[in-house]
Amino acid sequence: MRGIERRLGVCRVCSQLIHFPPPDEGTVAAHCPRCGSEVAPRKPHSVQITWALLIASAIFYIPANLLPMMEVQTFAGTEADTILSGVLYFLQDGSYLIAAVIFVASILVPTFKILVLGYLLLSVQSGSAARTRQRRRLYVLTELIGRWSMVDVYVVSIMVALVHFPPLSEIHAREGAIFFLLVVILTMLAAMSFDPRLIRDAAQKEKHA
Amino acid sequence: MHDRVVCCSECDELSKLPRPLKPGRYRCPECGHTLVRFVPGMVEKLYALNLAAATLYLMSLLYPFLSFEVLGNRSTAWFLTPIENLYDRHEYILAVTVLMTILVVPAARILLYLAVAIPVYHGRVPRYLPYALKLLEEFLPWGMLDVFLIGVLVSIVKLLGMGSILPQAGFWLFAAMIPILAYIQMIFDPHPLWELIETAQRGGKIPYPLEPIL
Repeated sequence: MRGIERRLGVCRVCSQLIHFPPPDEGTVAAHCPRCGSEVAPRKPHSVQITWALLIASAIFYIPANLLPMMEVQTFAGTEADTILSGVLYFLQDGSYLIAAVIFVASILVPTFKILVLGYLLLSVQSGSAARTRQRRRLYVLTELIGRWSMVDVYVVSIMVALVHFPPLSEIHAREGAIFFLLVVILTMLAAMSFDPRLIRDAAQKEKHA
Repeated sequence: MHDRVVCCSECDELSKLPRPLKPGRYRCPECGHTLVRFVPGMVEKLYALNLAAATLYLMSLLYPFLSFEVLGNRSTAWFLTPIENLYDRHEYILAVTVLMTILVVPAARILLYLAVAIPVYHGRVPRYLPYALKLLEEFLPWGMLDVFLIGVLVSIVKLLGMGSILPQAGFWLFAAMIPILAYIQMIFDPHPLWELIETAQRGGKIPYPLEPIL
């Protein structure tokens, strides 16, 4: 039995069981008697907001990968590094572990998140009833791994702080880092604004139809 | 006593929780999402562990974090040096984000935990308790000290080839704090505290130590 069938729901803040007003009262939202938060049966406008954030992050994803993240300045010249060239550098160097960490955190995780959220949104909108369990797991995974992409942003800021010997050598942060940061934050917000209960809603509608 | 009906926030399944709860974790029968975790002595643990974390964190800010030497040139970074440097170079977006995720939010979380645990431990329910719990919930994903630790480790390996890099006292204090923070996150469940607030709102007597009341 699902909450929505009994007009029951859960307060996102304090997990209190909420009774929603009957449909003829004109409002769907209720106020949590315990913590006072407004509770709606589903996150309001979840699909639209998630799409907006997701599209924005997909756009920023392009300069994040094409523009350099940081720039190493030595007396021999200046060398700029993008995310991908950083990974390749460590592969050639033989530091496979570091190459793997950066590859997973900076390339695999953001790409995976954007694709998965897009897939979840499309499947919810088309009312698909297939693989609901797997899709819920995908969502949990997306929410869990999102923050780990920040690793590269921290690496850049630590390198900037440590390699600071003007005029011998210096490291600067470049635009790519800012775009990448925006991708991480926007995909995190997108994952938060998606309502996983919609996955089962669509499946249930199909069953009744 | 009757069983209690709860609704899963991830899949909307209604299920029943036994009363009283046994120590441990109760999952949604439909999707496996954790509904409640009952940790006996949670408030005492939060009190002690957050005091420890606050002490370690404060000390790790005061001692040098990493030092790096190349061709006789030496640079030393404190925990906050990266933020300072980014700010000096007008990288404001990066500076603010790093500042929020490794200083403001984690420190606020530790202080909020203490602001919750200390009065409850002494048998009082302060008026700000609901707000503190709400903030703790909202801050959760934005404190990234664990991610920062991985970032530090990657930077160390990156710089190994360029010169000699040495972790200093601040780094070890910081590294010791991360498992404590992870453990705090693992045992924290706001449910019994919300129940406590409800009891206090009804003017009831506050049960202490916190029982498996849910």
